[in-house]
Amino acid sequence: MAQALPPEPIAVGLENQEALGAGLSVAHATPAEAEALPLVRAESTRLVASLADAAAIDRDGAIPLALRQAVADAGLFGLTVPEEHGGAGFSLKAACAVVADLAAIERSTAIMIGLHSGLGVRPLVELGSAELQARMFPEIVSGARIASFAATEAEAGSDLTGIRTTGTVVGDQLRVDGEKVYVTNGGFAGCYTVLARTPGLGGQRAHSLVFVPRETPGVTIGPEEDKLGIRGSSTVTVTFEGAMVPQGMILGQAGRGIDQAHAALSWGRTLMAAGCVGTARAALHLALSHVTSRQQFGKPIGDFTASRAHVARMAARLYASETLVRWVGHALASGQPIDELSLGAKVLCSEASFEICDRALQLHGALGFIEPTGVARLTRDCRITRIFEGANDVLLVRGGAAVLGRKPAPAPARLSLPGPLEREAKAWDALRSRFTDATASVRAEHGVGVVRHQLVLQAVARANLALLAALGCLFRAQARPDELTLARHATEDLLFEAEQHLNDLARAVRDEARVHAVSDQLYAPLSRITKEDPS
Amino acid sequence: MSTSESPTRDRVIAMVAKILKLDASKINTSDRLREDLGMDSLASLELLSCISDELDVDIELDEAMELVTIDDACAFVDRVTAEQRGAGAAS
Repeated sequence: MAQALPPEPIAVGLENQEALGAGLSVAHATPAEAEALPLVRAESTRLVASLADAAAIDRDGAIPLALRQAVADAGLFGLTVPEEHGGAGFSLKAACAVVADLAAIERSTAIMIGLHSGLGVRPLVELGSAELQARMFPEIVSGARIASFAATEAEAGSDLTGIRTTGTVVGDQLRVDGEKVYVTNGGFAGCYTVLARTPGLGGQRAHSLVFVPRETPGVTIGPEEDKLGIRGSSTVTVTFEGAMVPQGMILGQAGRGIDQAHAALSWGRTLMAAGCVGTARAALHLALSHVTSRQQFGKPIGDFTASRAHVARMAARLYASETLVRWVGHALASGQPIDELSLGAKVLCSEASFEICDRALQLHGALGFIEPTGVARLTRDCRITRIFEGANDVLLVRGGAAVLGRKPAPAPARLSLPGPLEREAKAWDALRSRFTDATASVRAEHGVGVVRHQLVLQAVARANLALLAALGCLFRAQARPDELTLARHATEDLLFEAEQHLNDLARAVRDEARVHAVSDQLYAPLSRITKEDPS
Repeated sequence: MSTSESPTRDRVIAMVAKILKLDASKINTSDRLREDLGMDSLASLELLSCISDELDVDIELDEAMELVTIDDACAFVDRVTAEQRGAGAAS
């Protein structure tokens, strides 16, 4: 009989281990997707691989129109749009599998599809009026109106509450004024879901999501940003000056924009994490090709233990990343909340993909530093993922607060996995107990004041995330004995990291005092310059 | 419960106004921290942390997460203050 999951550190429901293990071992969420997904993955992979020249896209800083049209013709802009509106109706989990495949070929194309499918489309799917959906979805699905999400502003990045763009009620219309920066897909998008303050609709600081078509008078699209990576993706500033839209363009309940934006970001972060899985897969593939062919000291460099350690670590990080992305998709399909899981997947996958690319570059030696091998481009492409859709530093603070804000379970069930992973399960359980004790101490010592101890919150979030990912790897391997070796290695790595983060937690307050002392010294002369500068 | 008569009301509203850079006269005690005042979970915890310091009350994190409106925060502070006074008198 299936055993209930131990309630901590996870914030997801207590489904049974067998269902979770099965869910983590496959890319689809439903029986229907099990049939359709392999076909879509094969076709989209073939199509993009045949048309996308990653080096040229990187060099030119744009996705060619022909490629954009081809993916539109293949229906990829309808990936997550419900079938009744002409889309494929894929779940988040299935869409992640497609986006990961695309990212392994060309990351900017994957960003375009992923952003459109998540942040771009989902607010309209979940909150839009029937009339607006009926009017917009045909064009969205066909790719004639690519979707975008405009939240970030110059003074409001990870802190969405600082947004200044306003939506003012004027008769039966809403007048949108403000400037959004770093709008992904913005240059070629046909519509923008805009997060704006709407003080007339709710309290004086209420926010709403507003759907603004590109052709609305008062909408101005700025030039493309010159970026370090994902250079083919579109990133622009979009300005709204008296852009009038009907009040029916407000998505969902007016005044709930912050919560609605966070819900959309759960999709966006997961799809971005899936893209990281794809980039990591490509980097590992390049590294394996290189270490098995490159000869040094009379044998392939892949024979050396030092190289094998890189490769094993890369594979373990990729395994954990893929597991966590599937867990988010599985949780959503099971009706569970995904805000914390998606946040964790975004942080872990973005960091893992950068580490994997860095190790691939290291294994390539000087060749990796040269553009034609492609490793340098992969590294540049994934760097931004630790920043956009919530900087990891801030997400970890949020994650730590969310973990500590939950009422602790009085006596969490022990994790028991009889079989080949029994030893790892016991190690996990011991660390979970240590984690529970450590978080109880933090709660008792700091109360709500812990919100001012960012290193404490980050250490809690990181320990929780490592334990969560380790648990996922263990359950996934229960359903896939062929993955046992990899799962064991991934779990060992994650448990080692969890232990390190618990050690970080124990000394976090002391570390904070130290970093404050050093940075105060460094800031002091700069502050003086600022004060003395008459301008 | 309305806390319009609460002695903490004005101080809490003053803190909200200061943190959010809002006109205190436009803040209602029935305002919801998230929907009406645009605070996310982290911002509302910052506020409650300030309240905890300024009014010298202990606020547990899980209790803080359950406060929805300014009224809730005021009522909570009043209750905890009374409990702390009671505990002090008893000891």
